[in-house]
Amino acid sequence: MQSRNFRLQKVGNLGWLERNYQFQKIAFSLDELIVLNAGKESKSMNDFAEMITKLVNDVFIPIAAGGGIKSMEDAELLFNSGADKIVLNSVLIENPELVKQLVVKYGSQSIVGSIDYKSKNGICEIYVNDGTCKLDMGLPEYLKYLEDLQIGEIYLNSIDMDGTGFGYDFGNINNIMASIKLPLIIAGGAGNEKHLMQGLKLTGVSAVATANLFNFIGDGLPNARKHLIDAGENLANWDVNS
Amino acid sequence: MKLAIVDYGMGNIKSISTSLKYLGVDDIYLSSDYEVLRSADKIILPGVGSFGEAMNKIKERSLDKYLYELVLEGSKPLLGICLGMQLLSKSSNEGGDSLGLSMVDAEVRRFESNGIKIPHVGFNQVKINNDSKLYAGLLGEPDFYFTHSYKMTSDSNISASYCEYGERFVASFEKDNIAGVQFHPELSQRNGLKLLKNFIDNF
Repeated sequence: MQSRNFRLQKVGNLGWLERNYQFQKIAFSLDELIVLNAGKESKSMNDFAEMITKLVNDVFIPIAAGGGIKSMEDAELLFNSGADKIVLNSVLIENPELVKQLVVKYGSQSIVGSIDYKSKNGICEIYVNDGTCKLDMGLPEYLKYLEDLQIGEIYLNSIDMDGTGFGYDFGNINNIMASIKLPLIIAGGAGNEKHLMQGLKLTGVSAVATANLFNFIGDGLPNARKHLIDAGENLANWDVNS
Repeated sequence: MKLAIVDYGMGNIKSISTSLKYLGVDDIYLSSDYEVLRSADKIILPGVGSFGEAMNKIKERSLDKYLYELVLEGSKPLLGICLGMQLLSKSSNEGGDSLGLSMVDAEVRRFESNGIKIPHVGFNQVKINNDSKLYAGLLGEPDFYFTHSYKMTSDSNISASYCEYGERFVASFEKDNIAGVQFHPELSQRNGLKLLKNFIDNF
């Protein structure tokens, strides 16, 4: 039976995280790590790549890296630095030819398509370029467009719920889930393990992601994982005898 | 312990070498050079991407010849990971029909899309074959990280351990000095590290 993924999205500075939250310990509660170089904290691609290399030394789980990837060189740099997958956002609509080339070179399973959306009057509006530019295309149409590009997974982030801790945007997720053929990672809004559990219960959801800082504190994540497994969620088990 | 990772331009080498270093292997070489492969104690064949392109790159570098000689004839231990495992098969129908290295009697085919999402991405449980040396010390049905759209099947006895995703497929096989894993041990937390250690110690 397929396990559900429990992914963590890194927020903030890696060094600070390691010093304050014993990242190695937290890493054993996760299935995958997503690292996004976005917003005000945005580094140069070289600096970002260096950070990825350091991260790979500490964790033995898949790492997806993204944020501002616009060229084959950007992608190559990240893959060579240790990223297992790259996360593409604006470039999906701005340069579909490049996306196709990336799929051919690295394989669909190495490409995650990230969608940031806001909900307005029940309609999901897609935003690119760090949430500044609204697309004319609606979400259902955009999903079909991404499927045709043959990327591997969809990372769907609710701009409205992101950072609130009030829970995922289940209203819209429930409506759109059935029309998504690719593995779906939901993000934006998780504040506690109840939200993670709710997300994992949906059959159309393959993975839940959280960047909520409170999930990093103390035993928040390890406990959440344990409770999810105890509640019957099929998360991966790491039992080794010797 | 000298370990060589075959370099044909495809595969996430960083994660593999980081895991090996963590396990105490100090001499790790990334190479397509015959002498380096010959002098290594064990070889790892990585792979991410498409079968056809990988076979082309391997043949361009004469790696098929080197591996036949060193691994099939010379019995040097070899571990194929993900696409690396698939390349050891007889053929794959990815992007048309391509012939593999034929080191194991198996075929590679795309997953049937019967209500499952392709690619198969994420952790999944492996039903361990009792004859297996790769999983020594691992309990129950351990989880490993899979990410692939094509899977291996075989009618022969290749000491296969299986995984289930819409259908049963070969998660790993072992045949004397040659082993292959569909999943990524370097991305599978403690289970993966243990498996890599078993390859280092038991092959």
